[in-house]
Amino acid sequence: MGMLKKLLNPFKEFGFFAGPIYGLDRVFQRLSPHLRLYFYEMLAQPISEEPLLPSRLSGALEMREIRLGDPEIARMPARPDIKQSRFRQNAVCLGAFQKNRLIGYIWLCFHQYEEDEVRCTFVLPQGTPAVFDFDLYIFPEYRMGLGFVGLWNGANQWLVGRGIQVSFSRLTRFNLASRQAHLRLGAQCVGRVFVLQLWSVELMVATLSPYLHISFRKQDRMRLKLRPTFSSPENRVRPLVGVQAG
Amino acid sequence: MTDLQILNDYIRGEIGYQGELYPDLDLLEKQILDSFNVVQWAMFIQDRFGVQLEAEDLVRDNLCSFSRVIALIDVKRALGLTGQPQPN
Repeated sequence: MGMLKKLLNPFKEFGFFAGPIYGLDRVFQRLSPHLRLYFYEMLAQPISEEPLLPSRLSGALEMREIRLGDPEIARMPARPDIKQSRFRQNAVCLGAFQKNRLIGYIWLCFHQYEEDEVRCTFVLPQGTPAVFDFDLYIFPEYRMGLGFVGLWNGANQWLVGRGIQVSFSRLTRFNLASRQAHLRLGAQCVGRVFVLQLWSVELMVATLSPYLHISFRKQDRMRLKLRPTFSSPENRVRPLVGVQAG
Repeated sequence: MTDLQILNDYIRGEIGYQGELYPDLDLLEKQILDSFNVVQWAMFIQDRFGVQLEAEDLVRDNLCSFSRVIALIDVKRALGLTGQPQPN
């Protein structure tokens, strides 16, 4: 009975399509660390000019760029080589500070983002003012408070100030909490990517161009072209209760 | 209507949670509230009870259960940090 429940759990949690993929990936991970099956969703989130927070609360947070060499970088949980590679690809790290204490951050790339988990480069659409956001992190003590909404509120303002209208991201389909949070901010799924890692080989299937790619070497990366599919006003983010403009 | 009933009605009506609710139930641990709607929850508390919440008040310890929220409201009322509550 326990085993049956364990087998059915992924179906219950992720549905009849994503559930088996999750189960298969778990089996692969047990067989070898060089075997993985990834299922990503590509999301496009409209950048809202409307504040998500009342000014009294948003005013408690300060947004600023965290640049290479900033001591705050050491507090970020990603591996040092990963953080270095992000700066090398000109990614911007935007931090939210409450009383001068870093409570969370988000990384942003303009033009394209070189994924570090699989051999894929996400290329932003030409002619659309867009960024690619990744590794949004809120320090645990701020997660169930102002953290997530406060960070997005500040990031939206920062992006609006630079004329950005859309932020793309890739989420693992199995991170339900993050997925739900993005959807609440008006994000829509604009594509899906499946990656099968077999030691040094990566086979990718995507619903976006170029749809299929096989990579035998690190340098051989799939360039996935992103495009937003929404433009209707109903995708505007609804402000939270009590938010007054101005 | 008691404070507890008002909070209960919000979780039922706005969040749509139909399971068991009691004063010390951890709404965050049970994932009834998440990192997004916990702020909506705080805004509702502020508006409905006419108390002024500061950024420092929006932490897990204050918002995770009905009993914690009522304690926070009581502290704010005692400190006189109240505004005009919104009617039902």
